[in-house]
Amino acid sequence: MSVLPFPTILDDIKEKGLRRALYDAVDTTVERVTAGMNIQDIREALRGEKASRRPNPRLTPHADSFWLHMRPSYFNKEVTGIYPTFRLGWLSTYFVFFETITGILLMLWYTPSPEIAYGNMLNILGNVPLGQFVRDLHRLGAEAMVLIVALHMMRTWFTASYKKPRQFTWFTGVVLLFATGLLSFSGYLLPWDQLALWAVTIGASMAEATPAIGKEVNLLLRGAPELGANGLLRFYLLHVLALPVLLFVFLGVHYYKVIIHGHSLPPQSEKIGEDTAKRVPLDKRVYFIPDLLTNELMWLGVTTFIMVVLVIWFYHAPLENHADPQVTPLGTTAPWYFLWIQGALKLGDKFLMGIAFPTALLGILAVMPYLDTAPSRRYKDRRIMITLGLLLISVTTILSYMGLPEFAVSTSAEIEILHELDKEPAHNKMGIIRPVPYEQLVVGWYTTAQFDVPEGEDVDAYLAEFNATIAENSQYEQLVDDLRQTAFTVTNTEPMFEAIPEDAPELEAVLEEFYHMLKEEELELPNAWGAIIITENQDGLKRIDLAISWDGVEIEQGDVVLDENGEPVPLMETVLVPVVDENGEPVMVEMLDENGDVVTNENGEPIMVQATEEVQQRVRRIRVQHIFLHRNAAYFQ
Amino acid sequence: MLMLERMIFERIETRILVGITAFFGILLMVGWVAINEGGRMAAFEERSLARSIERGAALFASGCATCHGNDGRGITGRAPALNNPQLFGYDFGTGEITAQIAKLEEQRDLRTQLPELEAELAAETNPNVRQQLEEEIAAVQKAIDPNFDGIDFDAEIVALQAQYDELAGQMQQAIANGYDPAHPERLVNVGWAGDLYGFLFTTLKGGRPVSSSYWPQAMPAWSQEAGGPMRDDQLEDLVNYIMNWDRGEAWTLADLNAVQQFAVEPARSSGGGSEQQADASPVGTNVRQIMGDLEGVEGDAARGEALFNSQETPLGGVALGCSGCHNGVVAPAAEGLWARVETERLADAALAGYTAEQYVVESIVNPGAYVVEGYQPIMPGTFGEALSTQDLADLLAYIHSLGE
Ligand code: HEM
Repeated sequence: MSVLPFPTILDDIKEKGLRRALYDAVDTTVERVTAGMNIQDIREALRGEKASRRPNPRLTPHADSFWLHMRPSYFNKEVTGIYPTFRLGWLSTYFVFFETITGILLMLWYTPSPEIAYGNMLNILGNVPLGQFVRDLHRLGAEAMVLIVALHMMRTWFTASYKKPRQFTWFTGVVLLFATGLLSFSGYLLPWDQLALWAVTIGASMAEATPAIGKEVNLLLRGAPELGANGLLRFYLLHVLALPVLLFVFLGVHYYKVIIHGHSLPPQSEKIGEDTAKRVPLDKRVYFIPDLLTNELMWLGVTTFIMVVLVIWFYHAPLENHADPQVTPLGTTAPWYFLWIQGALKLGDKFLMGIAFPTALLGILAVMPYLDTAPSRRYKDRRIMITLGLLLISVTTILSYMGLPEFAVSTSAEIEILHELDKEPAHNKMGIIRPVPYEQLVVGWYTTAQFDVPEGEDVDAYLAEFNATIAENSQYEQLVDDLRQTAFTVTNTEPMFEAIPEDAPELEAVLEEFYHMLKEEELELPNAWGAIIITENQDGLKRIDLAISWDGVEIEQGDVVLDENGEPVPLMETVLVPVVDENGEPVMVEMLDENGDVVTNENGEPIMVQATEEVQQRVRRIRVQHIFLHRNAAYFQ
Repeated sequence: MLMLERMIFERIETRILVGITAFFGILLMVGWVAINEGGRMAAFEERSLARSIERGAALFASGCATCHGNDGRGITGRAPALNNPQLFGYDFGTGEITAQIAKLEEQRDLRTQLPELEAELAAETNPNVRQQLEEEIAAVQKAIDPNFDGIDFDAEIVALQAQYDELAGQMQQAIANGYDPAHPERLVNVGWAGDLYGFLFTTLKGGRPVSSSYWPQAMPAWSQEAGGPMRDDQLEDLVNYIMNWDRGEAWTLADLNAVQQFAVEPARSSGGGSEQQADASPVGTNVRQIMGDLEGVEGDAARGEALFNSQETPLGGVALGCSGCHNGVVAPAAEGLWARVETERLADAALAGYTAEQYVVESIVNPGAYVVEGYQPIMPGTFGEALSTQDLADLLAYIHSLGE
């Protein structure tokens, strides 16, 4: 008879006692949750013992549960080690989920609008506990995923795992590669900083080069001729909706195909032309429960551990200044995984290299298994394919290298040097003057001429002479004129360059580096001197003015024009100078109007003016620019 | 690789151990990060403010310095200083003293007023007027602060005045450049209810178009929404830069005297009025007194309209700008105002005993006294100082003419 009118656990307790009844209840629950394994089964599995009851309870979850029905109940021992998969497919999958989870967390604080997106990023970094941590994880995960997926592809290439019957698995893989690349790229825009805007502008403008439909594709992508509110929204929707859907659908197909055909065995392990992956001899079976399950859980822990370590100590996602379509940063680059396209662009036409080449590459990859139908998967029979694979790797590496902004860009030397000194932090690099400790930014006027001092001569005396020289040849006047244009109050009439004080060694190191950079560019910047002028702008805020003064040379398309002796051709200008006679008195002549007629005053007398003559003179050029540095900006951290 | 594989993967115990260690490691590290988050976030905020100031400085140099000076100290006759204790509301003492003197004067005057009113009441027979006088006496009695009983007002005032003069004497340079020691707080002077950040931000955002009536060139609107060149985050950078001039308690008289140009406060400035009004005095804010003054003054509706639409300037010399707000959105529309006052406002119990004219006068010189439902109390309280009796009469005539 039941305690209550219907059967309950109370009956069990009555019958077996509390302890036993509770244990049984938990045991049943566990068995239900695992769809077949009770506590004892799990304990045995984790101890590495054989299952003690029949039918084998470790197989039931694969038959009955939703999640495990996707996983085979056993694998061939030959494919569960590091070789031949290198765990790359597993890692790719890991990152799919890793990115989904971290991405959803970030979505909580993000609004896709140009007015607020950047503010959102600052908020995530400065106001959301663990916000920076999650953002770094997501960003690092995204970049790692691109790399891992590419490596995964290369490993299936080298082990010839795309061959019959796995052609379609490979094809869906190419779709996944495409989706992964675009996911990373579309995410790139979302912080709406300079890095994002310009990288994506470059990318999107390549689409424009497509013949016939380029304009439309571009418009469709950006939602407007310029990347703005609509473009951001579209990229956002691509990033959080369209591409993830594509990725998950194809991941489903991909993995289904992988399971259906079984993991391909190492090429040596089977006869040529045969595929025995699905026929696993009893002695080669490695059961999912417990071996692969523990293995995967371990890798889950280890990989996440590595990610966390990287993010805490080694990697922080970049955030540059707010996106500004008006300001093109020097040295804009695509994200590193698209550098190869940027490199290719330097070799040829925008459409050919920017669109046709990558599309063709993707197309060839997609159909590769249908082209390479040779039956043997053995390495020694695949010399050509392996060579091609290595070639693909080397070509993309070389192209990527060429895609770096340092390669073959012709910016004039003075701009390049000043940029080297003061550039905003970007791509983990910054102008060398920024990390100088604030206390070492001692107010004063300093010049690279300081390092021209001949051995054994007094620096102060040398600089006094330098000051006198530039006052005389009006290079100082030129400098001051330019400075005044930029809201700089010049209080001193005489140049007052001085040696860097001793307690500012890092500033001195920067000045010296500046000096060497000028020396290296002597061809383009003859007789150059540089200046670093430090003034106090506000409490805790200093203004750094940088200047280069040099003798102009002829430049054509970014290159110095050389004469027949290999010397740079000086840049000359025509100036009007007053004519004086031998006594130094001005020579007077009649004034002429634009028709060449003599101008007369009301009495009909010609008006006399001082004569001038045209003189060729070497152009002295100057460039100044300035930045501000705040005590708390902490560039050196 | 193979060695590692043997060591880690072959044995299930090792795998479990490595896995558990990794998971605990993750927990520890995340916990560690979480503990340090407060400090990290604060450091980030500090750093991003610093960077914002740097960018603001660059924007200031390229966009603002030509008018406000390279050092932010203003340029004489061009634009006021921002690197300026007045903007940050720093009172060197003169403002406080002025307030104390005003309080003393008020209390002194109340105490002389009381017997006069009582004498008037004793002599009055008309019950209506008696009632009014009684109310006034009650108000004065209420306003008398017993803490000031027994004080020698005149002596106190003289002493304070001497202190004031001494301080003002050290501000000669600043006063010559437009500083008013009696009103040292810019935000108070302009009647800004929000904080300085908001004042600066909105000024940058929308510019100050009317400032062309007292500066050679108006402060332009800087935000893209208002047709200017800058994004809001850039305006924030600029404001952060300007706020960085604040020296808190460390402002010195030298800072004050270094200012090249102070802000002009239109409603209070006394110079520049048209000549025939130069000797007239402002109407003030005492409605009863104003009503007396208005008696026998003929209002000119046409001039009133010109004043209302800022085509003419009143006594204060600075356009009133009434029409800017009185459009029914920001403030009640001028059209039909008189009729609305008569039919709607005066029906309100709070306004019993008011005539329409009295109500309108009060609303002009003391706008905060009664705010029509649905509107904000934003009308400046400075018109009593800006209008002569004639100006006010003209305005009343114009408003009256609209109501019919
Ligand atoms: C998001 C991207 C991808 C995910 C999540 C993914 C996932 C996986 C997984 C879990 C496996 C089985 C384990 C392994 O072989 O390592 C696998 C196998 C495979 N994948 Fe992918 N994959 C992705 C991209 C690709 C790409 C880009 C290709 C090639 C273009 C590709 C081609 C293959 C092939 C041919 C196999 C079968 C390997 C074999 O049977 O040995 N996959 N993939």
